Amino acid sequence: MEIFRMKSIWAIASNTVKQSLRMKIAVVFIILLVVLLPVLGLVTSGDGTIKGRLQTFISYSLSLTSLLICLLTIVVSIYSVTSDLDTCQIHTVVTKPVRRFQVLLGKLLGVVLLGCFLLLFAAVLIFFVTIYIPKSMGADESGLIRLKNEFFTARAGLAPTPVDVSDQVAQEMRNLQQKGQISPEMLSDKQTLQRIINEITLAKEQATRSAAPGQELIWQFKNVKIKSADSNPTFFVRFKYDVPVTRPDMEIYSRWAVGDDRQIKYGTPVKTRIAQFDRKDKIRSFYEIEVPAEVIADDGYLAVGFLNIANLNSSSVIFPREDGIEVLYKADDFVPNYIRSVFLIFFRMVFLACLGIFASTFLSMPVAVLLCLLVYVAGSASGFIMESFETLGENVGLLYSYTIKPIVSLLPQFDKYNPSQYLIDGRLLSWPFLAKAVLLIVCIKAVILLLIGILIFNRRELAKITV
Amino acid sequence: MEYVIETLSLTKTFSDWWGRNKVYAVDDLNLRIHSNEVFGLLGPNGSGKTTTIKLLLGLLRPTKGRALVFGGDSTDPKINARIGFLPEESYLYRYLTARETLNFYGRLFGLPSRVRKDRIEALLDMVGLRAVANRQVGTFSKGMARRIGLAQALINDPDLLILDEPTNGLDPIGTRQIKDLIITLAKRGKTILLSSHLLADVEDVCDRIAILYGGKVQVEGKVKDLLEQTGKKQITAAKLSDSALRKIETVLEAEHADYVVDTPLDKLETFFIRTVADAQQQSLLTSGAVSTTAIGDFLSAGTEKKSEQAVVLENLVSGSEAVTAPAKTLTSKPVLAETSSNHNVDKKLLVSLTSEDEPGLNKPQDAPKTTPVKPVDQNPDESVLDQLTDRDNNNSKGDDKKSSDKDGDF
Repeated sequence: MEIFRMKSIWAIASNTVKQSLRMKIAVVFIILLVVLLPVLGLVTSGDGTIKGRLQTFISYSLSLTSLLICLLTIVVSIYSVTSDLDTCQIHTVVTKPVRRFQVLLGKLLGVVLLGCFLLLFAAVLIFFVTIYIPKSMGADESGLIRLKNEFFTARAGLAPTPVDVSDQVAQEMRNLQQKGQISPEMLSDKQTLQRIINEITLAKEQATRSAAPGQELIWQFKNVKIKSADSNPTFFVRFKYDVPVTRPDMEIYSRWAVGDDRQIKYGTPVKTRIAQFDRKDKIRSFYEIEVPAEVIADDGYLAVGFLNIANLNSSSVIFPREDGIEVLYKADDFVPNYIRSVFLIFFRMVFLACLGIFASTFLSMPVAVLLCLLVYVAGSASGFIMESFETLGENVGLLYSYTIKPIVSLLPQFDKYNPSQYLIDGRLLSWPFLAKAVLLIVCIKAVILLLIGILIFNRRELAKITV
Repeated sequence: MEYVIETLSLTKTFSDWWGRNKVYAVDDLNLRIHSNEVFGLLGPNGSGKTTTIKLLLGLLRPTKGRALVFGGDSTDPKINARIGFLPEESYLYRYLTARETLNFYGRLFGLPSRVRKDRIEALLDMVGLRAVANRQVGTFSKGMARRIGLAQALINDPDLLILDEPTNGLDPIGTRQIKDLIITLAKRGKTILLSSHLLADVEDVCDRIAILYGGKVQVEGKVKDLLEQTGKKQITAAKLSDSALRKIETVLEAEHADYVVDTPLDKLETFFIRTVADAQQQSLLTSGAVSTTAIGDFLSAGTEKKSEQAVVLENLVSGSEAVTAPAKTLTSKPVLAETSSNHNVDKKLLVSLTSEDEPGLNKPQDAPKTTPVKPVDQNPDESVLDQLTDRDNNNSKGDDKKSSDKDGDF
């Protein structure tokens, strides 16, 4: 019986693939992929460097592939169901020994197979173009090594241990009270008090990230464990400067020290080396300092020090809160990371296929397509949307939590699970992260949609009364 | 199971979005269709025939009442595996070829690929579309699409065949073939529900009819009972001499009977088929369907094969072999023995007309009157049909039914 079921599901799936190919729905997308991907490989230049070109290409090509396959999935999944309903072909299908949910599963399988095939094709093409770009641009030995470390890799990122500023805030409060700048009335009003504390906390916290000329900053990292097969493993300190006054071409002279600073503090002889770098970097761009892994202490402790050189710089330097400073180290190779990135696009596609099937069980083709496009766009900006609703929702309370919130949280977070941002910086897209994406996007959201779709399809009348 | 189809106060109403203008598409319908019966659902356009069929198949849900097929719900795969359905329009996938279409539906039934392959070839032969089997269905004329629609309805060797306007869009030859097919299938133990507004179709093939109007059954009964003019008698004779005629008139006048002496007219259908046969004999080409009357042998195994039922599948798929193999039992019997002699003449014509062999080679031999008919025993397709019908004639309906009941349930 089980085989019997699979047989009919396969029959419907292969029919769906034939439909999309022979009705020439998929053709446009296939041609676009086949033509545009190699063209992108030729025309992208990025910032002129090989790495820049690679970053631009991989980002554009993956986004393009994702966009085209997502659009194709939406259109094919909806068309395959609505056309059957509109032209009554469904009458000859559901009167055969096939359950209605099997019809939908067959369509879904067909759409996913088609998308899978295209995705595989595009992924292989993009991979080979990416590999080919450095060779075509005549990269030298050192350039290739740099690319291997910064692009053709999968690096995990570590944020510094957050600095606890609560003591400083308490101290500041006492100071202000002593000076009489905070009156007892202000202290008795809870809201005012909270606002004052928030402001002081923010100022103190920002102080830990900014250095005036002549000042230094030290960040601490714990559990830095580098597993590498290389004989001379390295890791990267990645940073970005900001300045209070806008001068786009401004450059900062800096001295960096990376290593175990505890041994200096306590006057003991230096056991592990401390690496030092003198640099000159533009503001508001990311830079990476390659550091040998030997500077990390045995217990995984690492400190990174930054000095704003007084004689050469005139402005204080701020490190942005989110991405000002970070330690990156190699955790996996490029290929598995790339494969996982492709999987992210695949999950996206499966979600949209389920969404399309769901929408087509009760909507006509144009309406269903519009709905799916809306969800796709909203999903691609889900972070922004959720944040804005969250802010708005604070004032609406219950009404928000029971109406908009569940709907918004059903949105697929395509922007959060976007593969380009990982590949551009050669960042690790870990298996746990991938598993989380499957769980959220496919196992929960897509399956919920599919089940609702099946429920609707089972309940509805598939024929119209014609009298 | 007493009835193949049974409806209990089946009612379907529909109204607009606001619930206004309630219309009864089907109103308190109580149909009972027995096994091995050809039942005709007659009625003008919009009388609820198609709605009834959609309700029977679960495509629509009844507002009230129930529709039972084989005693259960027709959406149950166990039950609809035994149903063949031809919708009012042949709703086919335009982008599939004729062969792929049949393959697709065969796969939905979960037929093993070998069985499927054999059946598809047999059905393509049967509906005369073998030559265009690799053409996309979207390029077919309405009649050709209808034939493929019919073929898909037969791919599972159904016990119950539901045909909604089966002759819709077919030329007279195709219409005739479908009617013959229905009769043959009925003889093999199938139950057939037929809906039509073409009275001639229904009259020729149905055992029982119901006339619907406004969703209600107006009349129901056996065709013969309903149509019999009990107060009249008819004598049909070969050409009579004037003297013989005068004698008969004398007898009738003595009885004080009202009578009419007339020369009977040919049916237009017969005349049409004969005309096209003439044209085909002059080897005129057509791009349309060239049908045979060979009926896929897998469609219900005859009692001859009853003893071999241990190898059910082999039995079912023997159709395509039979089509090409030389017939063992050659006979010049009329194709359908129970029809009138006039009808038999048409039948032979039809056979000659639709055979795939070169028509120009046919010699008028053994043909009644002036009608050119191809010798029956020279055409393997005819032989198959003859063989089949001969076999059927030798066997009782009951036996057929038993065997088909078993075979149909795969």
